Amino acid sequence: MIKFPPNLKKGNCIGITCPAGFMPKQKAQNCIKTLQQWGFGVMVGKTLGSKSTNYFSGSDEERLNELQAMMDNEAIHAILFGRGGYGVGRIIDKINFTQFKKRPKWLIGYSDITILHAHIHSNFNIATLHAPMAAAFNNGGNKNQFIDSLHKAITGKKTSFTCAVHPLNKNGNATAPLVGGNLTLLTHLIGTASDIDTTNKILFIEDIGELVYGIDRMFYQLLRSAKLQNLAGLIIGSFTDTRNTERPFGKSVYELINEIITSANYPVCFDFPVGHRNENYALKIGGTYTLKVGKQKVQLSAL
Amino acid sequence: MNRKNFISALLPLATTASAMALAKQNIFKEPSLKTAPAYLKKGDTIGICSPAGFITLEDIQPAIAKIKEWEFDVKIGASIGKRDFTFGGTDEERKKDLQQMLDDKKVKAILCARGGYGIVRIIDDLNFTKFLLHPKWIIGFSDVTVLHNHINRNFGIASIHSKMCNSFPVDWNAAEPAQQNSIESIRKCLTGEKMNYDFEWTLNNKTGNCTGQLVGGNLRTIENLSGSKSDLLTKNKILFVEDTGEYLYSIDRMFWNLKRTGKLAALKGLIIGGFKTKKDDAGEEFGKSVETIVLEKVKEYHYPVCFDFPVGHQKNNVALKCGILHHLKITEAACILKEL
Repeated sequence: MIKFPPNLKKGNCIGITCPAGFMPKQKAQNCIKTLQQWGFGVMVGKTLGSKSTNYFSGSDEERLNELQAMMDNEAIHAILFGRGGYGVGRIIDKINFTQFKKRPKWLIGYSDITILHAHIHSNFNIATLHAPMAAAFNNGGNKNQFIDSLHKAITGKKTSFTCAVHPLNKNGNATAPLVGGNLTLLTHLIGTASDIDTTNKILFIEDIGELVYGIDRMFYQLLRSAKLQNLAGLIIGSFTDTRNTERPFGKSVYELINEIITSANYPVCFDFPVGHRNENYALKIGGTYTLKVGKQKVQLSAL
Repeated sequence: MNRKNFISALLPLATTASAMALAKQNIFKEPSLKTAPAYLKKGDTIGICSPAGFITLEDIQPAIAKIKEWEFDVKIGASIGKRDFTFGGTDEERKKDLQQMLDDKKVKAILCARGGYGIVRIIDDLNFTKFLLHPKWIIGFSDVTVLHNHINRNFGIASIHSKMCNSFPVDWNAAEPAQQNSIESIRKCLTGEKMNYDFEWTLNNKTGNCTGQLVGGNLRTIENLSGSKSDLLTKNKILFVEDTGEYLYSIDRMFWNLKRTGKLAALKGLIIGGFKTKKDDAGEEFGKSVETIVLEKVKEYHYPVCFDFPVGHQKNNVALKCGILHHLKITEAACILKEL
């Protein structure tokens, strides 16, 4: 049985930490302000705006220790990650989940955070939140429906999202637990202790900055590791900033995906608002959703 | 290509358990017998085809000339000169060409013309029945890692990791000795010479001696095969890896993949080949070298590790017999990889 962390109430505290790439403190100011306006306390970790001079927000040990402390601290009711980038995979096997399993709290983020989502889903069956991170609150983002969906998710309000139909969609309905995240990381985790079982689940996938042939190769890995065969549904999010080789691949990302899953007997929707752009709804990993892919609209509703 | 048949062929696998459970149960038993295909004699035929990227007939002329100089015949496959965007023909065309090379008893070795990307798109549609009755050498690297690992994992048949047609110089005499030697080593492999490589010592090596079956290839491709039926088993083996054009952070992530999929824990030895890295983006400096990335992953293991072995996307890329027992000796005086 899936375990949901408790919903947040006013006065609860949200911790902000950066378990992967470096983020200047300035970029999280709007996020902090907004969380406070929502009525939450905010505890900012040292990894945000740290003195690190390289890619990471701190050494492996610093990032691990801060994440561990926030997971174990009973006064922190949810953890919002400053940003992704790269780095969670370097510390995942050193995190001690003992306290977290006893007192789950919402872990909020995406991209590199996919590792935490997948690891926790697979090993502990505790729900986590695939959602915008600190930088998404900038440039007026704090007022949009995507940040609002994060607010709704952590306060326990039911969410339901719609998007436009796409010509490649496969119509149908499915009700099942939702899993997914960043394609590069989902494939990277195959065969490890953080690998997810996708059988009878709705899988969502997004990515950024990949070569088109690389996306093809990763979808073949999903196919060949039996991740696409018994899905309840498939949600294809955005693939932003994709690049092509000198000799172009000859197909768009959505076309190549559609070819690989051409015989799928489950509903599939393309261009769902999840990924590395403003349009990025908060989705509960492990939560049960109803996906309706129809002629007029696509709808994903939490049960 | 009708992918419908493909996907439904895989369905029974997935109905009983997840991919992860499959991996754990290890239902794809590793073959115990390691078979080396017959070595080539003068007059034998080498087939050339392009199962991945596109290449012209003109581009493979230097390779054809050299192979004839070695006194082998050449059979040119239909995929040479074919093009479907980045591919050497459509999936169907590339598959058909490689299939007939596998099935043709006269072809004693298959030299892949180049790498690129594409073998994983056809590997599950290939029929290895005749190949298993009459094993032959499969030659190449980079994307051809898919074939090496698939064949090693499923059939235990040896193959040759080496340069391909696109690396044969137009003017042999103007080529650097490293390139000439690398290409010559393919002939030596094919004719049954025992390979014996002496290579440069580096400061970061971990010394030791070991004996094991040699396996490996392109790191990105090895990661991409995780969880599939072409996934490499590395226990008690000597693993070599190389890659090109990757960011340091990505190389780090791939070594974590090797480690977290259990591929580093029970090795006999680890050989790090060439890693031409992509420069870090400004402000995103990774701060660790390839050597540091590797050494931190293997610090708790006691097997020999060496760096800068001449294998990879570079002039110095010697032919290696995958699936064959080798002895690796790393001391401060000598670095030797020797076929047993």
